[in-house]
Amino acid sequence: MALIDIRGVSKTYNSNGCVVQALKGIDLSIDEGELVAMMGPSGSGKSTLLSILGAMNPPTTGTVLVDGIDLYGLSVEKRADFRHEYIGFVFQQLQLIPYLTAVENVLLPLAISKRPHREQEAMAFRALGRVGLVDKARRLPNQLSGGEQERVAVARAIVNEPPLILADEPTGNLDTQTGEEVMRLFQSLNEDGLTIVLATHNPENTRYVGRTIRIRDGRIAS
Amino acid sequence: MRLADISFNNLRRRKSKMVFVILGLAIGVATVVALFSITAAMRDDLQDKIDQFGANIVIVPQARELSLSYGNIAVSGVSYDVKELSQEDVPKIKTIAFSGNIATIAPKLLGAVQAKGAGESRALLVGVDFPAELRMKKWWEINGAAPSREGEILLGSRAAGVLMSRPGDSLTIDGRKFTVSGVLKETGSQEDSVLYVELSAAQALLGKPGKLSLIEVSALCKACPIEDIVGQLSGVLPNAKVSALQQAWKARRQTVDQLTNFSLAVSAVVLAIGAMIVLTTMMSSVKERTREIGIFRAIGFRRTHIARIILLEALVVSVVGGVLGWLAGMIASSLTAPYVAQAAVTVNWNPALAALAVGLSAMVGLGSSIYPAMQAANLDPAEALRFI
Repeated sequence: MALIDIRGVSKTYNSNGCVVQALKGIDLSIDEGELVAMMGPSGSGKSTLLSILGAMNPPTTGTVLVDGIDLYGLSVEKRADFRHEYIGFVFQQLQLIPYLTAVENVLLPLAISKRPHREQEAMAFRALGRVGLVDKARRLPNQLSGGEQERVAVARAIVNEPPLILADEPTGNLDTQTGEEVMRLFQSLNEDGLTIVLATHNPENTRYVGRTIRIRDGRIAS
Repeated sequence: MRLADISFNNLRRRKSKMVFVILGLAIGVATVVALFSITAAMRDDLQDKIDQFGANIVIVPQARELSLSYGNIAVSGVSYDVKELSQEDVPKIKTIAFSGNIATIAPKLLGAVQAKGAGESRALLVGVDFPAELRMKKWWEINGAAPSREGEILLGSRAAGVLMSRPGDSLTIDGRKFTVSGVLKETGSQEDSVLYVELSAAQALLGKPGKLSLIEVSALCKACPIEDIVGQLSGVLPNAKVSALQQAWKARRQTVDQLTNFSLAVSAVVLAIGAMIVLTTMMSSVKERTREIGIFRAIGFRRTHIARIILLEALVVSVVGGVLGWLAGMIASSLTAPYVAQAAVTVNWNPALAALAVGLSAMVGLGSSIYPAMQAANLDPAEALRFI
């Protein structure tokens, strides 16, 4: 069953009078439980597609349905609620909050939930346990290695138990070995039932995914 | 984790910036508190002085005749016989409900006399109760001494000039001999032309034993409406005309109003500067945190959540600034008030002023942070995270 259904999505940016067409008529379906890599060179439009999928970037044309919900038919605040409930993000450049410890970073998505503190902590430590970082929970990001920081970012993405994980260049800043570890972690999460969509330019990562979608010049190439 | 934890974490992280905002607000609040306290203390002090140093109520007989000006009040004709007040009226003043507010009662008898020293002239003789008169007229400076024995007279400076008399000289008034005990230094008022003798002597000279022309009353009116005292005095003295000296009231009101307006203007400027400091600091803080706010938005924070984080930070900072500003303002005003007011004024540690200071600071802090909070809340997460 398709968790994600994208029809006729295009995106045009107007930057300083210069019109850039980042996406050109994308049609795409991703089933629940899939681990998908969107491959393409820098500037191909994969990050833009990921942000549109993540309910953060309205397309110029087309519709995006996730779990049957028309994302861009929702109000801005409802889209925020949707992101909170449905999506776990792993951003390019990690994007951890530098003054919060690992566990506090993982707790962030729960700050707007009504869950009691003890339950929040239990969820955060469960997520950190899932990525193997419980022993470093009280460390600040700059006291962690690149791979560990990536794993904290993954823990933050899964702490709220969303059905969909979106990751933008998750191995972009990591050495080969650490990158492989992270990809295996995604594989493992996918085996637990999570639907995962990655944007990557590293062909090595396609070894770990179920399907690879190649994007070039704003279109799906294959 | 709660939203408040994010705010407090950020405050801890940006200590120097927040200290700068706190200082900006504290200085603003301290200035307002100091000005307010000093103005209030000066207002109290001014009231005390006006209330204590001079008559603010004058009681004269109901009269139809011509009047002769004395001080700032009009008294009934001197050369005409009118229905005088009597000394029996004086104790009645003490019977009013606000008698506790009566500081000094100075009865007087006025009359025109022929005075002869080295020079000679018609003059206004005023019989007074010297202890009460001296208590009321603290500004009098006497060359010599006030009369303390029977047969002594005090001259106004101009009267002394016309009669060519000095302390120790003799003076004849309507055939009766007096010794000049002292001469008043020039006051610039009608007092300069007056001859002052003991009330009983004046009554004897003018042939009006037990009679009075007017009674000056000094009432302490810091908290009581003088009109009420006037009303009560009119009640116990039905044949007298009781008037409050409106001029003194108007002058007081004008002075206080000027001080208050000045304080308000300075406060507004200082608070506007404080508001600008908060605005620019919060704006730069929001700009620095663009990515962070983008992350919050991406993981599902609503715009209202972001605004709450920013406004809570502003509230904490401005309350701290308000408390520190209040303390600094009170200490500064306590130390400087005597110099600024040039008098021994007392600054009151008023809890209402503390609440006002903190409230004002919170209002300025929050008000100036609304725009930065809106900017933060409206950040496009995709743009903030460089997806675009």
